[in-house]
Amino acid sequence: MPALKTEEKRRTFERLANIREIVFGVQDGVLTTAGVLAGLSGAVAVRSQVILAALASTVAGALSMGAGAYLGAHAESAVLRSELERVRRESKEQPYVVQESLIEALGKEGLSREAGYRVVKLMSASPNVLYNTAEEKLYGLAGAAFGNAMLDGLLMGVAFLIGALVPLLPFMMIASVHGGLIAGMATTAIVLFAVGYIFEGRFSGERRPALAGLRFLAIALSAAIIGYVIGLLIAPIGTVPVG
Amino acid sequence: MLKPGDAAPPFDLPCALDDKLSRLSLASIRSEMVVLFFYPHDFSFICPTEVIGFHKSQAAFKAEQTSIVAVSVDDAETHRRWARELGGLSYPLLADEGGKVARAFGVFDESENVAMRATFILDAKRTILYAVASPINVGRSVGETLRVVCALRSGKLCPADWQPGSDSDTPDAKH
Repeated sequence: MPALKTEEKRRTFERLANIREIVFGVQDGVLTTAGVLAGLSGAVAVRSQVILAALASTVAGALSMGAGAYLGAHAESAVLRSELERVRRESKEQPYVVQESLIEALGKEGLSREAGYRVVKLMSASPNVLYNTAEEKLYGLAGAAFGNAMLDGLLMGVAFLIGALVPLLPFMMIASVHGGLIAGMATTAIVLFAVGYIFEGRFSGERRPALAGLRFLAIALSAAIIGYVIGLLIAPIGTVPVG
Repeated sequence: MLKPGDAAPPFDLPCALDDKLSRLSLASIRSEMVVLFFYPHDFSFICPTEVIGFHKSQAAFKAEQTSIVAVSVDDAETHRRWARELGGLSYPLLADEGGKVARAFGVFDESENVAMRATFILDAKRTILYAVASPINVGRSVGETLRVVCALRSGKLCPADWQPGSDSDTPDAKH
């Protein structure tokens, strides 16, 4: 049934809308934790302190990112809903403005004024069809665009946590700081390459997905190297006696 | 925009009338007065009420020796289809493609490339007696246009809200 296939596609699009939270969360978790590990490994020689600080950073980061994503999505949704209400009110008070604007919008997409008029006239037989089309076509306000703030926050937090474990677990499992750091950076590189390869490369149908993977990898390495260098630079500050 | 007292610029344009395509010039109109109204577009949700309104009142205008002529920038074939869409119109729709006539009357909206919603009433010498322009969201009153035509033809001083038949004691305008 074509209708069922369309519904299936719509759900797929809604699911795909959450890829942003997943990729952002994983990438941020991996990069932040790799940066913390690299920076602290340069500044602090004690392995347990590095692990403790990285764990604290992971928990705080996951909570912060999750809460941030939730609050951001919630605020955006509230503003959009209020705007949608205003647009609906105006549409009901001045339907001809909506009708004329729709004709113009359809005209910009290649429909003649006459054809646009006929389409809008047909839609006007059902005010709901007219207003919903106007909201999507004229204002870009679609119901699906509101998303689910709770889901966004949860996905972001969990994705950050999973991303953070990528460099952290190998670091915790290997006894030496430098050995753990190298292992952590290796898994980080592999995972970031994979995230770029899968989400940006394969999902988006890019002809050379390996390039997308390498782009992610380059960003990760840059962040880690900069973090490590800054750690080395600020290490002497920690040794200055206070008081 | 031209004002009362100005001579109406002559025109000779393609038009749609009675589901046929032809031409119409100002000089060829024989009626004593002419109501010339400009509107932005065919196939619009804003204009049809007044376009149909003038059609429905055409007999009353005719009784006042007045022709109705409508002008927009659409071509004559589009006018014909638009008139069909509205169920047929009893007066010509002139095709002022490019807006030359609208510009001559000073009612061309350069930003939108359409004619403004403007109405002119012309006398027998095709001098403008009355000129009015409306904003895009306010339809013109056909009844008010007819009232002004009647008032102008009465040759009397017509007070506010004057209506045909209410002027038995009103002095002639020329006195």
